[in-house]
Amino acid sequence: MNLPKLDLSNLPDLDSLTGTFGSLVDYARVQSSDDSIVILMTFLYELTWRGY
Amino acid sequence: MIVHPELRALRGDDSPQRVAQDTLIGRMGDWRNTPDVAALEAEMAHLDRGCPLADCRLLAGMFQQGGPAAADFASELVRLNLEGLAEAPLGHVPFRHFTDGVHSTLLLLRSGNVTLSLVAVDGEGLAGRPAPVTADFGPSEVWEHVLAGGADAELVERSGPENGPAVFDRRDVALQPGILVCRLARQQAMLLRGVERCLVTLRLQRRLRDAGPTREYRLDDGTLVHQAAGNVGDSRTEMIMALLGRMERAEAAPVLADIAREEGSAALRWQALRECLALDTLTGFTAFCDVARSAEDELAPTAGALRSQLIEAYPQLAEIEPCPA
Repeated sequence: MNLPKLDLSNLPDLDSLTGTFGSLVDYARVQSSDDSIVILMTFLYELTWRGY
Repeated sequence: MIVHPELRALRGDDSPQRVAQDTLIGRMGDWRNTPDVAALEAEMAHLDRGCPLADCRLLAGMFQQGGPAAADFASELVRLNLEGLAEAPLGHVPFRHFTDGVHSTLLLLRSGNVTLSLVAVDGEGLAGRPAPVTADFGPSEVWEHVLAGGADAELVERSGPENGPAVFDRRDVALQPGILVCRLARQQAMLLRGVERCLVTLRLQRRLRDAGPTREYRLDDGTLVHQAAGNVGDSRTEMIMALLGRMERAEAAPVLADIAREEGSAALRWQALRECLALDTLTGFTAFCDVARSAEDELAPTAGALRSQLIEAYPQLAEIEPCPA
C-alpha cells in the first residue's frame, strides 16, 4: 500500500487548546491558591538539571 | 564590586559550601527519619492512594481548625533549619522552593500527587500588585491551615459550563491563625485581597488523577481565558512526544498509538494521535480509526471528522483495515 506522508502542521488541533501544566495567565496571583508553580519549578528543574 | 572574602574564597575552594550543604541536608534527613515525620509521609502516601483525610490520624490532626498540631510541626521545622543556618549561613535549606518576592513556597514533603507546603505571602508586596483579574480552578483538593498573620480573602465558587461563561458566587473570608480552609479547587478558588504583615499557612494539596485540566476564567464576565494540563505528567509526556516527532523517531509510533487509545486527558491523547499520524501513517491512521469508532470516547467525533477529511484528500487511506465507515 502506498501511503502518503502526512505533515503535522496539516493535522488540526482541538478547538480548545490546553497549555502546559502551570501555564496560567494571571501568573502573579496563582500562587496564593495552588501548588502548581512550585511543582512546575520542580518539573523544570528535573528536566534541566545536569548535576554539578 | 565588593565580594565578601568568605564568598571569594569559595571560588578557589568550594569544599566549605559542600560541607555547609551537607549539614543542612543531614539535618533534614534526620528530621524526615523521625518517627512522626516518617509516619506523616506514610499517611501522605495513603492520601495519594485515595484514602480520606479523616483516616490519616496525624494529617487530620494538623488540618483541624484551631488545632495546635500544624503550628507545632512548622515551628519545629523552622527551629531545626534556623539552627542549621546559624551553623552554615551560606547554606540553602534543602527544600524545593519558589518565591517571586511576594509569594514564597517551600515544598516540605511530597508523596505522588500529595504535597505539603509552607506558604508565606508578604502583605506589603501584595498591596503593590494589581488586583487579580482571573481565578483558576484545577483538579485538586486543598486544605490550608493559617499559622500566622491575617488576610482578607475571598472564596470564589464556580458554576456554569466548563467552557464558560462561568458564574461566580463570591463570599468573604477572614483568615487568621487557626482558621482552616478546605476546598475542592475545581469548584472553589481562594483570592487574597489584602494581607496583614505576612500570612503564613501550611498547605496540604492532593491533585486528582485524570480529572481534567485547570481552567482560568475572567472574574468580571466569566469568560474562559486559558486552560492548562491538570497534571505535570501529561505535559512531560506531551513534550517527549513532540521531541520524538521532531526527531522523526518512527519506532515511537506504536507507543504514541497506545497513549492515544488509553484513558487520559483528551488534549494529551489528541497530540499523541497527531504525532503518531505524522510519524507513521499506517499506525497513526489505525489508531485514529479506533478512536473514531469508540462511541463513548469524547474524541470520537473530532477523530471521525478528520478521518473523513483525510480519506477525501488521500483515498488510499480508505484501504487501511479495520476501518468500517
